[in-house]
Amino acid sequence: MKSIELLGKGEEMHGRAYIKLNVNELEEAIKKLKENGFNHFVMLSCIDWLDKGKFELVYHMWNYEEKEHAMLSIDIDRNNAVMKSMSHIFPQIETYEREVHEMYGIKFEGNTRLTPFLLENWPHDPPMRKDFDSKKFVRQMYESIPFIEGEENEGI
Amino acid sequence: MGLHNGDKMMRYEEWSKLARKASKKSLWMVHFCTGCGAVEMPPVMTSRYDAERFGITSMATPRQADVLLITGYLTVKTLRRVIQVYEQMQSPKYVIAFGSCTINGGMYWDSYNTIKHLEKYIPVDLYIAGCMPRPEGIINAFIKLMKLIDEGKARGWEKYQKYYDRYKENQRRVFNFEIKEEQKEEKNEEH
Repeated sequence: MKSIELLGKGEEMHGRAYIKLNVNELEEAIKKLKENGFNHFVMLSCIDWLDKGKFELVYHMWNYEEKEHAMLSIDIDRNNAVMKSMSHIFPQIETYEREVHEMYGIKFEGNTRLTPFLLENWPHDPPMRKDFDSKKFVRQMYESIPFIEGEENEGI
Repeated sequence: MGLHNGDKMMRYEEWSKLARKASKKSLWMVHFCTGCGAVEMPPVMTSRYDAERFGITSMATPRQADVLLITGYLTVKTLRRVIQVYEQMQSPKYVIAFGSCTINGGMYWDSYNTIKHLEKYIPVDLYIAGCMPRPEGIINAFIKLMKLIDEGKARGWEKYQKYYDRYKENQRRVFNFEIKEEQKEEKNEEH
């Protein structure tokens, strides 16, 4: 596959190129792929590997000529979740970084727009982290709010 | 014509009875399109089911509408907007909530950001069960609502005025995702 040839590493996975990179190689790799036809940045996804103590960030890119999907994957430390922003290469990365910041608590250095995105006034841990107990949170938060018992025929 | 004593003057009760009888035949709705229930509204409104034969039509702004339709699950962020819409509407106003998501959370029962029981935050006059209810169910609910209005039983808006402080307290807690300390301690012991 073209992206594997260009970067000199990686493997084919279910018809896509999966390329594992070190953190400092990522910026060069995205620039190189962008110059060689991978001009569509599809999305940035994040996986929480709780037992390994790592966050995996996956940068998905698409080439229209080759019809090839390349996934650039990096690991960052879970306890010190800081990553350099890539929004100067593709501007739309800013929004994806904003979402990952809100859902996983990863800080992107150089991104000036890490404001609340889907959650408003959220004071707790980022909700998509594996150690966030969603069922317990629902019991504490929503089920503790009382019903408003009116008199008969006052509506529900 | 005032509300004086006397046999010739209609009392307030009788006037409101008459007003209810008239207004139930022209329910104007504002549908707040959240979740998947919004796709059931076009067939209700258009020629196949033709809700306008019951006097039901959609209205551009909440200030002109009588009925608020909540058509699916609500996140906390959307709930804030729903309450703004609800409070803009003129009394008497009615709320119909669609589907299992508004009743108890439905398939989002363990989600961190969807509310589970809509009636804790605004009064609901009628729920339609289902996931999602079909257009027949929606029209059936409107006919049931007309019956409730006629009998004077759809009084959710009076309940909102009466228990305004308690509704506001619930809304404030959910907007700030506030967990009370005693809740935290109780639930930790169980685990």
